Amino acid sequence: MAVRGVDEKEEKKSYGTVFLIGTALLVVVTLWSFWDDNFTRRPWKAFQTAFYRLDYQKAKAAYDEENKKLQADSNYQELMKKIAAEKQSLESGDLAKKQAALQSELDKTLIEFGKLDQQSKFIKSELEEAYYEYDHAIQQSRPVKPYKDKIDELEKRQNDVAPKAEAAKQKRDQLKEQIKKLGAGLKDLEDQEAKLTADREKAAAAMQNATLLNIHSIPVYKIPNIKQVALNEFDRNNFDQPVARADRCQTCHMAINRAGFEDAPQPFRTHPRREVLLADSAHPPEKFGCTSCHEGQGAAVNSVKAAHGEVEFWEHPLLRGAKVQSSCVSCHLNMQPLEDAPQAAEGQRIFEQIGCTGCHLVKGYEDIPKIGPSLRRISAKLDPSWTVRWVENPHKFRPRTRMPNFDFKQDEAVAITAFLWSLSKEEGDKWTQAHPEPSGINNSLAAQGKTLVESIGCKGCHGFAEGEFSTTVGKQHDLVPNLKDIAAKVGPRWAYYWIKNPRDYFPQTHMPSLRLSDQEATAITSYLMTLGAKTEPIANIEQQLADAKNVKRGEGLVRKYGCFGCHDIQGMEKESRIGVELTTFGSKKLEELFFGNHTDIPNTWDDWTYNKLKTPRTYATERVEQVMPQFDLADEDIKSLRLLLAGFQDRKVPARYQAEHGQRAIQVSEGRRLMQQYNCVGCHEIEKRGGFIRKYYQENPTLAPPILNGEGEKVQSPWLFSFIKGPVPIRPWLTLRMPTFQLNDAEVNMLVNFFNGMSKVDLPFSSFDENKVSKENIEAAKILVGKDYFNCFSCHQQGDKKPEGPAEGWAPDLTLARSRLNPNWIIKWLHDPQKVQPGTKMPSFFPGGPDNVLGGKDDLQIEALRDYIMSLGRGAPAAAPAAARPVPAKPAPGKPGVKGGVASR
Amino acid sequence: MKKGGVLAVILGVSLAAPSYLLAYTGGDVKDGGSISGTVKFAGSVPTPKKLEVTKDKEVCAKGAEKVDKSLVVSNGNVEYAVVSITDIKTGKKIDAKKINLDQQNCEYHPHVVAFPVGTPLEINNPDGILHNIHSYSKVNPTFNIAQPKFKKTVEVKIEKPEAINVKCDVHGWMNGWVVATDNPYVAVTDSSGAFKLTDVPAGSYTVQVWHETLANQKPVTMKVTVKAKEDAKANFELKK
Repeated sequence: MAVRGVDEKEEKKSYGTVFLIGTALLVVVTLWSFWDDNFTRRPWKAFQTAFYRLDYQKAKAAYDEENKKLQADSNYQELMKKIAAEKQSLESGDLAKKQAALQSELDKTLIEFGKLDQQSKFIKSELEEAYYEYDHAIQQSRPVKPYKDKIDELEKRQNDVAPKAEAAKQKRDQLKEQIKKLGAGLKDLEDQEAKLTADREKAAAAMQNATLLNIHSIPVYKIPNIKQVALNEFDRNNFDQPVARADRCQTCHMAINRAGFEDAPQPFRTHPRREVLLADSAHPPEKFGCTSCHEGQGAAVNSVKAAHGEVEFWEHPLLRGAKVQSSCVSCHLNMQPLEDAPQAAEGQRIFEQIGCTGCHLVKGYEDIPKIGPSLRRISAKLDPSWTVRWVENPHKFRPRTRMPNFDFKQDEAVAITAFLWSLSKEEGDKWTQAHPEPSGINNSLAAQGKTLVESIGCKGCHGFAEGEFSTTVGKQHDLVPNLKDIAAKVGPRWAYYWIKNPRDYFPQTHMPSLRLSDQEATAITSYLMTLGAKTEPIANIEQQLADAKNVKRGEGLVRKYGCFGCHDIQGMEKESRIGVELTTFGSKKLEELFFGNHTDIPNTWDDWTYNKLKTPRTYATERVEQVMPQFDLADEDIKSLRLLLAGFQDRKVPARYQAEHGQRAIQVSEGRRLMQQYNCVGCHEIEKRGGFIRKYYQENPTLAPPILNGEGEKVQSPWLFSFIKGPVPIRPWLTLRMPTFQLNDAEVNMLVNFFNGMSKVDLPFSSFDENKVSKENIEAAKILVGKDYFNCFSCHQQGDKKPEGPAEGWAPDLTLARSRLNPNWIIKWLHDPQKVQPGTKMPSFFPGGPDNVLGGKDDLQIEALRDYIMSLGRGAPAAAPAAARPVPAKPAPGKPGVKGGVASR
Repeated sequence: MKKGGVLAVILGVSLAAPSYLLAYTGGDVKDGGSISGTVKFAGSVPTPKKLEVTKDKEVCAKGAEKVDKSLVVSNGNVEYAVVSITDIKTGKKIDAKKINLDQQNCEYHPHVVAFPVGTPLEINNPDGILHNIHSYSKVNPTFNIAQPKFKKTVEVKIEKPEAINVKCDVHGWMNGWVVATDNPYVAVTDSSGAFKLTDVPAGSYTVQVWHETLANQKPVTMKVTVKAKEDAKANFELKK
């Protein structure tokens, strides 16, 4: 047993090795901790260094290339020689001699001027003194003569010295100027050099920017540091106080707002569509950072995963791919005009148009009208057996209908139909009595009806055969029904009165009137009645519908499934929406989402929502019933819709980060919604979307309805208002008719606001001062429009003066321009009609106006034409409000099959 | 610098030039053969529709009575059919000579013009009244140029191969075709339905015929082998 102090062996033992190992370990650990702290846990440093290297190399390559180009450029070499010669001359050559001579003269002049200037100043002081004495003498009533004499003497001296001093000063300035001029040649040459080498110097600046030092072309890169943007008041803490968000994404994404890195590897790539999306007027990164759109954990920098928020418990991971579009929803009122958010825009259209808002409340979407037809007089319209089958499963009859499938059994469908019939009986019967069976509906008129349907514009909205459609809602639904089997659904009586005046049956309908004459309506009804066969009746259907038990049961079903969300039903006008509110649906936590008995669906918001939209009742269990119907949406539609829903967040983005939400923006947005509801895009291309009827006019696009992309800029607001109210023919060659939508003033104002907003017209009313139009312009224009020149009236109508030949070859009445067109638009139009309205019959007259009018200058000629066109029709009554404007009732000229009524184009 | 700029321009142009421009290269053809033949119409010959002059009669009604030229057949021979070689990569030089299209008495003369892409097409207006030449093209950009009395000629260039319908919006009956091909081996049949493609290097080629109203406006093709200094025959028959 070893005793303390006694064990000699222990005393003599050396612990040197242990200490050495211990010390070595300590050193290693110290180094390791240093390494870990500076590199392992700061991966962004490596990224930044890599970026500086990339940036430097790119700039160096550009520099070398530019330099090589310059070396090979004889102009540059010559210039450099000139500069060298000039410098040489300035330092020791001719110029140097001249400069020395001038300088010595300047020195002399400076001395002389200094002397004279001093003299002059002294005299001035003495004069001050003399004046004081003089004034003093006057005040003390002493004789002033001596003082006056003194003053005179001094002034004489001053008059002698002052011009000399001035002359010396001028000489000094001249000499200075001459010396400066000696160097002007060099400065000029150097300016030329700067111009030639601008690109190279830019590259040199970029090289310098990436480096701390650059010794003999060995770059020492900048020391990495964190790049942070603080988004003030962007977030709210748990006490609902605004707090700043730290956004450090640009620590690694260093070229996000720099051109030239479009093909660089990530994270160094330039933002796609940078000029538009990151512009100062859009989302400058120094204000918005990155996370405001892309999410992720902005403050994290210690790993890529953490920074992208793709770690446990971070609720807003990076939005990859198209998903980023859901962020637009937080700040923009309307997705439709956002070119870079096509899927969000599509999602919004589907959301608004497939009827989501019938059952679900979402703030900002409360005012969307019910999308289904009114059921008030349904018994006067529909075949009862057809109705039962329709209620059972609407997709069977019309696969592309917007009406969802509630999966009702036949007895349920009978009950619902019985209830609806019982409600509508009284009003329906009244309507039937007031509308006698139309006479003359006849198969032999079907061909004529078909021609009409194809020529007046019905196909802008409706399809009439399998596979025909115009405006779609998503991928596989039609906004407006396809009528290929319409005879199975409605009878000739209803069809006839409906197409004649849709608002007579259903005052809120979006279907417009095409101002059909009786004959036209008869022909079209005859045609429609050939489409599809009458429905086979269900046995005893009448008795079943009259059965009170069925009526009672039907009411229960209608209430349970919320049919009134989309349809106007008597007594249920005030019922509230039956679905849950979705205003903040995108913020729902996983624990708030009920997955039912599913174990196969991944536990994510995305998957829950996808499956809900795909199979709405999929989460139902034995104890939890679900009533949401099957919309039969395409996968792509579900994804678009989900994108929009993901944007319904509970966060409130402060106003300063939001897109403009002013009164005007709201008006434009409301007008756009109305425009979509009334399906203006079925016929017209608006905001680069729509004009779906154009597919029938591919052979001859001039016969298609006008494209309205820039309509607000083109026409005057008062004219647009009265035209939408009561359309009048403008384009005589069109057989299509602009329908009468019977909109109220508020609605038409919304549309006018929309068109103006779309074209960025801030002042809807403007004037054109005719008094300022020169006589010369009018005279010149009269020559230009004449037969020997542009011969405008060969095609254009001029009030009652019609052109030769058939109406198909005519062009709009130029006397209308005065009240219709925006004067500035006429100029744009005359410059290049094809650019404004592709496919137009109007040819380009410019460039290439005649040489002998207004000096052959195109711009002057165009202005003169504009002035002249605006003067046409002066004295004619100004555009009368539509209500007061008589609608002519004579047949359209030269159109077989279009008898009676007026065709408005 | 300047040289560099020019080089860059040349490089840029050659990179930007679409493949079909690079596809054909012209040069000298030695001992070339030719392809000739006729285009026949199978079926009963319709009577050509008379065109009514409804406007500017003092100019437009002059000359021979106007008939619809969208199908002109005499003795079974089709006029205005366009015959071309589709798969030739090298051959004779593309002639830079201008092609003329006249609007005379409100009618296009000739009714069909055919030429290789890039050839200047000079459109003339000897009528002294307003015409406009409106192209209904799908591949090339459309143009619609006014040609008032004082503008006797307008020059356009078609840059991509396409058969383009041209019309005048002032005179609705005016109807013509401008056919651009990617090589110079193209001809329009005459009133006897005959055509001839000359200076064709020996080899085997696909020859096609296209007509504005026949065979659904689809080209009809045929394989033809050309021997040096010899004439190869290619006779076509088109249906409605």
